[in-house]
Amino acid sequence: MSDQSERLLHIFTDSFLPLLRAGIAFTVPLTLISFALGLALALLTALARLSEFRPLAWVAGFYVWIIRGTPLLLQLFIIFYGLPSLGILIDAFPAAVIGFTLSVGAYGSEIIRAAIVSIPKGQWEAAYALGETRLQALRRIILPQAARVSVPPLSNSFISLVKDTSLAATVTVTELFQKGQQITAAVYEPLLVYSEVGLIYLIFCTVLAALQRQLERYFDRYSSV
Amino acid sequence: MIEVRGLTKAFGETSVLRGIDLTLEKGSVLVVIGPSGSGKSTLLRCLNVLEVPTSGTVAIGKARLEFRPDAKPRLADVLALRRQSGMVFQAYHLFPHFTALQNVMEGQLTVRRTPKREARAKAMQLLAKVGLADRADAYPHQLSGGQQQRVGIARAMSIDPELLLFDEPTSALDPELVREVLKVIRELAEEGRTMMIVTHEMKFAREVADRVMLLDGGAVVEEGPPEQLFERPREARTRQFLSLIMERSF
Repeated sequence: MSDQSERLLHIFTDSFLPLLRAGIAFTVPLTLISFALGLALALLTALARLSEFRPLAWVAGFYVWIIRGTPLLLQLFIIFYGLPSLGILIDAFPAAVIGFTLSVGAYGSEIIRAAIVSIPKGQWEAAYALGETRLQALRRIILPQAARVSVPPLSNSFISLVKDTSLAATVTVTELFQKGQQITAAVYEPLLVYSEVGLIYLIFCTVLAALQRQLERYFDRYSSV
Repeated sequence: MIEVRGLTKAFGETSVLRGIDLTLEKGSVLVVIGPSGSGKSTLLRCLNVLEVPTSGTVAIGKARLEFRPDAKPRLADVLALRRQSGMVFQAYHLFPHFTALQNVMEGQLTVRRTPKREARAKAMQLLAKVGLADRADAYPHQLSGGQQQRVGIARAMSIDPELLLFDEPTSALDPELVREVLKVIRELAEEGRTMMIVTHEMKFAREVADRVMLLDGGAVVEEGPPEQLFERPREARTRQFLSLIMERSF
């Protein structure tokens, strides 16, 4: 083995654990926390947009309009670098969580709203005919069916989010991509190190795709009529 | 007893019901017939407040509600009236994510707040009554149309309604499945359930009805015992409708 390839192999093996550690310590929690909070926000936003109380629908629509109409990178910069001008100082990690949560909330709300609307009107009527209230019908009858419809598109958002968390590097979170940059700066082998970073993202996303299949199988126990 | 007075329903400019009066004694069966668009389904849906009537009074069992064109009825009043009747839909509308048993337990659990064990026992009893005790754990998509509709009937009965409403319960079924559903409804009639049935099955209507009502253009054309309405109709419009229906079935 030539000296050069031996050196590359060393760099690869030496950086694998630090990269994986950065991924597990930052990328994974950033993704999980933001997605969980974002999903809750998405559900509330979807319900607000479907509400008969117009001002609520309008506020939710405005929020979705802002988030979808501006770059995520810009939103992160405003939260982390911009808000301190107003005296609002947020640490890097929570700032990133806020940015990603708002993003998942906006895009996810459209997925959930579409899923709710796709459930046939007869399902609402059957629930009402039993004497259920709107909230009971929503919780017991409509949302469980909407959840099934939402799994594939929400999984897409989830997997996108794993990769979007690399943007947190720009607000000084030492997540996976940032760690890759640091290692590259030290050893100057960008092709090798960034490919290795890509490999770790691939591992994360592959695990998630497997989880998605499990979830779809769970929902396949019934078929919509 | 069921009492409806001056019931009207308009969708925008279109009047679908133009002042319906009807009285139904406890334990009797009223069959509503009429051409499509005559307002039969709307009448049923108004009694269940799936459509909010424009004006008129509806009294079922202990609940009584007066509707006015200028005021939205209070939700509590709507729920109270709605809980007096059970609805069987043309397209069944079973909850696809629930088993047959869970479909029949749902209203008991959420609306009547029956303990789970009790709700399950009663649901099993109702499924047995419609001949589906052995399919309790099946999901709707695993059942035939006739079986789904029988679960729909069990579900409607699960909340102990004063009145059962059937909105063309066999119209979505293949002909060979119609019989099993009609058999269940016939048995309920013999038990003395108070029922209102919209149907195109004239032979069945004649057998099961205590009274038949012909609706056309949102108004009652004629109402009476089946022998009279089918054999000696008073109105020309009734004769015309019946001869059209008879032509179609031969």
